Amino acid sequence: MDWRSFSSALAIAALLGGCGRFAVRPSEKEHLADRTMRFDSDRQEQAAEDHVQSNREGAAGGRGTSGGGCGCN
Amino acid sequence: MQLTRAVLVVLVAALAAPLARADDRADFSTTWYVERRRGGQGGLSVLHPQADLEVDAGDHTSLGVGYAADVVSGATAAVFTVDATSSATTFDDTRHEGHLSLGFHGQRSALTLTGGAGVERDYTSIIAAAAGNVDLPGKNTNLALSYTHNFDHVCDRDNEMATALERRALTGVDPCATKSVILVEDTDGMTVWRDLDIDTAQATLTQNMSPTLVTQAGLFGQVLRGFQANPYRRVRVAGVEPQESVPDVRGRAALILQANKFLEGVHGTVHGSARGTSDTWGVNSVALEMAYSQYLGDSLMVRFRGRVYQQTEATFFKDAFYYDTTGPAGQYFTGDRELAPIRNIITGARLSYIGVDEKGGNVWGLFDEVELDLKGDILFLQELPANPTDTNPFGIDKQFLSSGQLLDAFMLQLSLQTRW
Repeated sequence: MDWRSFSSALAIAALLGGCGRFAVRPSEKEHLADRTMRFDSDRQEQAAEDHVQSNREGAAGGRGTSGGGCGCN
Repeated sequence: MQLTRAVLVVLVAALAAPLARADDRADFSTTWYVERRRGGQGGLSVLHPQADLEVDAGDHTSLGVGYAADVVSGATAAVFTVDATSSATTFDDTRHEGHLSLGFHGQRSALTLTGGAGVERDYTSIIAAAAGNVDLPGKNTNLALSYTHNFDHVCDRDNEMATALERRALTGVDPCATKSVILVEDTDGMTVWRDLDIDTAQATLTQNMSPTLVTQAGLFGQVLRGFQANPYRRVRVAGVEPQESVPDVRGRAALILQANKFLEGVHGTVHGSARGTSDTWGVNSVALEMAYSQYLGDSLMVRFRGRVYQQTEATFFKDAFYYDTTGPAGQYFTGDRELAPIRNIITGARLSYIGVDEKGGNVWGLFDEVELDLKGDILFLQELPANPTDTNPFGIDKQFLSSGQLLDAFMLQLSLQTRW
């Protein structure tokens, strides 16, 4: 994927994000804040797993980013 | 250049946002990984302890410190040939890794700068990383960017100007000298330290789709420049056994899509993810993962998961029989299982105890929140042929120490996470 495709994908995703600006109100985020809804909530588990997989597989990365959509950072 | 600008935008946004305190935290875990091996040399065992501490340093910042180690022992094959057990030897090694981080936290954003170093007998690494994320207006969309640079060094036999088929492999008794722990030092006429620079960048977009559904899309890119072979490994090529030879430059890209769906009726969550990767050595892969988390009362949670992965071989990988009988593909040859065509399956479960005092008191008299986890995974592996099997009288059932056994490894992890 070249940088033009990357930029386009990012712009489309950002626009979709803008469309979702009012998709979920703060009062509706109880379940989004649940620990099970966070991506990679246990950093050490993820690090250990990445370590094992990087020594077993030729692929790497693309794990995603920790955090969830609750907006609680 | 565009990526640099994007990183700067996120960093500026992170610094400009209103600031808030983060939780202090201390996490500890130990992972035990055991891989089966052929040839009566025992398995490969790795003990991987980790400890991380993160505390507030004022209203705006936090400081983090972390340590991890790998204590490795077991069997390895010195020569990639039709029967790996004939060259199997045992080895022991220990790797230490530490890092320091400085975090800036805002109401809508975070920025973390990390520096770290890792050292083992034959490999050193210095790492610099920056990661930032920002919530877009409405706080239903989060954009995250990260960049990491590794300044790594690999100890190698001093082969001077030898051609690929003349290179000798490193041995366990060759000196790999360092000074001040992390700075490398060549040993004239015996060993040299070779550079490996790694640039890694990632962008992810997390989006709330509904009150019970969150999705994430991510792009990953990595460029490795420098010595990337296993300096100890030899490959039997046309009757001789030179050190493995692979290209000095490798580019990788990955696309990941994942989603979490909360099921209100049963108080559980379904997780799904898909990842596709491609690299300039020809290794393409797909990984699919599904998991389900279920609360059991107020303090217990169980998670079950399964993951399927398959990859193609590198363009220069050949089954051992063909390297020996037909020679290499171009100037490169490797006995690395990671560059062979494989498929694997991981399945396992994790049981968590979660202690949170809802009344504002402390858990165990000290913490706002405690999580104790026990996780177990079983790993299956299937090695696939890279070349025609009908003209390979030896097959591929013995070319790796892991060959011919579907149940490949298991992993256990015990962890404690605390917040206060």
